[in-house]
Amino acid sequence: MGARIGIDVGGTFTDFILTRDDAPPILHKVLSTPADPSIAVVAGLAELASMAGPARDAGAFVASIETIVHGTTVATNATLTGTGAKSALLTTAGVRDALEMRRGIREEQYNNEYTNVRPLVPRYLRAGIRGRLDRSGREIEPLSLADVDEAIARFRREGVEAVSVCFMHSYANPAHEAAAAERVRAAMPEAFLTVSSTLLPSIRFYERVSTTALNSYVGPKLNRYVERLVARLAEAGFRGTLLIMQSNGGVMAPEVARASPALTLLSGPAGGPGAGLFYAKALGRDRAITTDMGGTSFEASVAVGAPLLVNDGEVARHKIALPMLDIHTIGAGGGSIGWLDPGGMLRMGPQSAGADPGPACYGKGGALPASTDANLVLGYLDPDYFAGGRMRLSVEAAREAIRTHIAEPMGMSVEDAAAGMFRVVCNNMAQGVREVTIKRGWDPREFPFVAAGGAGPIHSCQICNELEIPLQIVPRESSVLCAMGMLLSDLQHDFVRTFVADLATLDWARLAGLVDEMVAEGDRQLAAERIPPARRRFAVKLDCRYVKQYHEVGVDVPREAIRAGDSAAVAQGLHREHNRLYGYSLEHENAPVEVINVRVQAIGAVDKPRHPEEDWSDADPASARKGSRDAYVPEEGAFRSVPVYDGHRLRFGQRIAGPAIIEEVTTSVVLTGGWDAIVDRYGSFVLHRKGREDLVAAVSGARSKEVTA
Amino acid sequence: MKIDPILLSVYARTFKSITDEMSISMEQTTRSPILCEAKDFVTGLYDAEGRMLEQTENLPILAFSLAPVCKHIRATFGDEIYPGDVIFHNDVFSLGNQNNDVAVFKPVFFEGRLAAWTAVKGHQADIGGAVAGGYNPNATEVWQEALRIPAVKVVEKGKLRKDVWELIFANIRFDIVRHDMQAQIGACTIGERRFVELLAKHGREHYEAHRDALFDATRRMMEAEIAKIPNGRYSGEGRVFYDGRHEGSAFTIRVDIDVGDRTIRFDYSRTDPQTNGFVNGTFTSSASATILTLLQMINPDIPHNEGMVLPVEIVIPEGTILNASYPKATTFGNHLCPPNADAIQRALAPALPGRVTAGWNNLLCSLTTGIDPGKNDKYVDIGFMGLKGGSGAMRGTDGYDHIGMIDASGGLLDQDYEMFELQTPHLLVKHEYLPDSAGPGQWRGGLGVETVFRIGSDDTQMVTFGDGDVEPAFGLFGGGEGTLNFIRLTYPDGRTVVPRNKDLITGVPKGTLYHQQAGGGGGYGDPKLRDRDVLREEVRNGVVSPAAARDHYGLAG
Repeated sequence: MGARIGIDVGGTFTDFILTRDDAPPILHKVLSTPADPSIAVVAGLAELASMAGPARDAGAFVASIETIVHGTTVATNATLTGTGAKSALLTTAGVRDALEMRRGIREEQYNNEYTNVRPLVPRYLRAGIRGRLDRSGREIEPLSLADVDEAIARFRREGVEAVSVCFMHSYANPAHEAAAAERVRAAMPEAFLTVSSTLLPSIRFYERVSTTALNSYVGPKLNRYVERLVARLAEAGFRGTLLIMQSNGGVMAPEVARASPALTLLSGPAGGPGAGLFYAKALGRDRAITTDMGGTSFEASVAVGAPLLVNDGEVARHKIALPMLDIHTIGAGGGSIGWLDPGGMLRMGPQSAGADPGPACYGKGGALPASTDANLVLGYLDPDYFAGGRMRLSVEAAREAIRTHIAEPMGMSVEDAAAGMFRVVCNNMAQGVREVTIKRGWDPREFPFVAAGGAGPIHSCQICNELEIPLQIVPRESSVLCAMGMLLSDLQHDFVRTFVADLATLDWARLAGLVDEMVAEGDRQLAAERIPPARRRFAVKLDCRYVKQYHEVGVDVPREAIRAGDSAAVAQGLHREHNRLYGYSLEHENAPVEVINVRVQAIGAVDKPRHPEEDWSDADPASARKGSRDAYVPEEGAFRSVPVYDGHRLRFGQRIAGPAIIEEVTTSVVLTGGWDAIVDRYGSFVLHRKGREDLVAAVSGARSKEVTA
Repeated sequence: MKIDPILLSVYARTFKSITDEMSISMEQTTRSPILCEAKDFVTGLYDAEGRMLEQTENLPILAFSLAPVCKHIRATFGDEIYPGDVIFHNDVFSLGNQNNDVAVFKPVFFEGRLAAWTAVKGHQADIGGAVAGGYNPNATEVWQEALRIPAVKVVEKGKLRKDVWELIFANIRFDIVRHDMQAQIGACTIGERRFVELLAKHGREHYEAHRDALFDATRRMMEAEIAKIPNGRYSGEGRVFYDGRHEGSAFTIRVDIDVGDRTIRFDYSRTDPQTNGFVNGTFTSSASATILTLLQMINPDIPHNEGMVLPVEIVIPEGTILNASYPKATTFGNHLCPPNADAIQRALAPALPGRVTAGWNNLLCSLTTGIDPGKNDKYVDIGFMGLKGGSGAMRGTDGYDHIGMIDASGGLLDQDYEMFELQTPHLLVKHEYLPDSAGPGQWRGGLGVETVFRIGSDDTQMVTFGDGDVEPAFGLFGGGEGTLNFIRLTYPDGRTVVPRNKDLITGVPKGTLYHQQAGGGGGYGDPKLRDRDVLREEVRNGVVSPAAARDHYGLAG
């Protein structure tokens, strides 16, 4: 197998991992270029070429790449920061506020200061269009093209960049949406367009209109990005396969992402949970808390046996009904800006300095103090060895920003202010971890904590101190964990169609036809993605419920059962799944069952990179020591001189006692006072609380296995 | 035993995750839209003595509806509580809050001893009585409203008492109630499993020590919140219009609040006497209303357990409209929460001007039943989407648009429009924000909504219940009032009917246009001081008309 590259384009950094059969993985990181993120991608590839071997010509290197898989947080960041496209909505007359009402929910019922989320489309750009279908898809009022045209004229005057079309019952009959969409295409050819019956032809108006509007909101930004990326890669000589990471943990072709940008809302972090579990399994554990702290956001997820998926996710309180991994995101990253709220309390984020201008210490004009500035002042980062020394950080600029905006207003020293910023941002992240663990009844102390992202291992000891987690894994690929996970993912496409029918009177021929159609669609897609037929798999699920329930249960149904019209198999599946999930079924009541949606999952298996293993080293780690510097030790609440190690020279079996700093080109591991570390056979750092060597027995166990073998 | 502060928080969060998980199970498995869509249910975990460990109150009005019943059940059965028992209860004269809210309790045993209770109380689509759905504006006695279920074992030692089960459901109209009660038992079972797992991990003694520490910590938090309210006596009133029987009748709720250093006492002794209709509260429903209103004025992160209610004393004499005596009708009792909350907000406004809100829109609801001609099957619809008006503004924050009455506070979800049309024969014509409905103010009230649908069944029956069509949500500190509620039916022959706020309309023909407005919440502070940029944006978005911007807010141009 040839070269495979995972590229994770984040808000602040663009991460690379190169895997080949005949060489260890190469990690690389370049500053993102938010104005056109594809610039960083191509620049990074050129740099990777020079790292991949002596005197490699960049063009020849790029031409030799078999596959590039990449994830992007372009869509996520646009949603979280409210900087998506100026969007408009064509919807059924009389229900134009559904998007903003969000069914009238206030998530915090006892909190009268809790306000509604800003709508993705402002009310004056939500146009009610006359024309109506009933619940069976029958037209009861023709579509008013005059209304559509009038709305389009207004959208054009207002400079709208993206248009969504979502009419009542379009899942049952897409004709009105198609006709309106045609007018939009003709009059606004430049505008990004999302048609709900194409993106998500399933019942439930609010979920569909929200998902549709999200798709439009992030569409122009994501499209511009993918377009430029494809062009630049072609220009650089890339002839292999480009795949995009999607929210469900699978990958897809760029054309799919361009039509359905909402599938990338979790693209960046989606590689993480699978990769985190991969490293936990290397320690003989079947579960992991995987965290990833980049420049802008912090993600936390839990895997128990496998990463957990949801069908009714949310991004920034907007519903998204496309299947996605259950990843909790908060606005905390290296670029998170520190500020004082009206009560004089120190807060961190969610506003981020990003890459441009970036934290004050980047010296690119940023004057506000960011988390990275605090890390520099605390001695966690070496101003001369940031990104391997390719970027010099200004300690004075960092101190100045913290002094002006935090230390002086709070009447404290710059060092104390920096320590406060560090503590607050770590506490924010610990709360984020609580959301996916304690709040769901998991005790975080029973999980290995996988710390990833460039800024992650700087903070992970402090986060684990707060959560009393005794075991951490900082993978060798920590700074590019999601990029690594992308290379471990298969192609995966989820299709859904609403098909409302009583199981007892179901038209099996029609259902089988629909399933065949959906499978054919998946087959075409996988073929277009150059997946050989032998590697294509299809799984069918029916969303079923007992008649008059409101929520469905996904039931796996073999295609043979559908062809055979085996209603008993479907009913049995529902009883079983209902019982597993909710503790009872209505099997003995003979309660009638209805089908609401059909889902087809098309999977195209790809080759996975092999993970090379290192030989055990008995050498004294002192040989990897670079020196020492003053750094803040939170357990002691004071600065002191701590040893600094070159992570690239540490080998399987070597141990480091905290406090210490382990530096690599793409990350720093800050081992605070209460922690020790050992390097495992993959070159990952396994950190354990002092006195808990028992937790890392598996690491040295791997050595004895080798010896006996 | 030594208390581990991290474990204490793990316990607290685990209790919460158990009741949340029970709640998700209910939401996903129940069939009546009142339960699965509007989430009119509460799930809870109680210790062996019936003290609240945690609750998931999808509707705040259920905040205090289970713990008193749990204690009552404990006392009723004494030693005759066994593993595998399931107990039903709805009786309003033994601490139930509303006839339709039927509770399921399941004892949790650990190592052979009673360790805790799991419970779910949900609003049933029907509970017998004279009128389908339970809202009988003509009722004067409980038997005209509902089947009374005092604490009754339907399952004993894991064995279903079929005779009891059949007796209950022989008195209830709809089959879905049978299934929904099964879903409630299922949710209790899920909670039971999780709680036993928790005990198995840490042991009973460890749990009990941490439970007590949790109660203490919560009580101290609550006391600290009360300490922020200046000591003194504060009084306020709220008004109720029409008891369903006596045209033009009106009643006043009067509260005297005594705030001490660490205690707060709500005394309703001066409240008007009970009515001879169904507009009467029960002690539990009225006390829930008091507690939820108080909880909105303090730190919202306070855990909901026994420690929270210890510093709060509530006095509601029997025979008042908030605590009817046997055997009065009480189905409307939960809906006395809005005027009760009004009385409390008005009373505490001078003491807590930064925490109280202006008046919230009161509910006016309709319940429609008939035969869906497309399916030849009976349907029931409660018009949740139509009843949800705006909340009152507070200092620094506008009211929340289309949130619904304070007893739900945004926990009551609209029917999904497409599901509404799939499950009823109606056609939705309009459901949008109602411009100019919000009470003006420096911070405006929440917007109300307008709902129009075409009725799709013949001989349709409609029950209305609610208020807010006589007196609008009040403004505070210079803020203006919200708009009023109304419901109007326009028959195919052009005739219009405006139901009273508690009414029963029968024989509504297919093709009738149903029109409803839910009003906005009250404003806070002088509208002339409202942020001009925000106001201009609202004018552009059409939620404030140019005329209102000029007349109420003084916006030039």
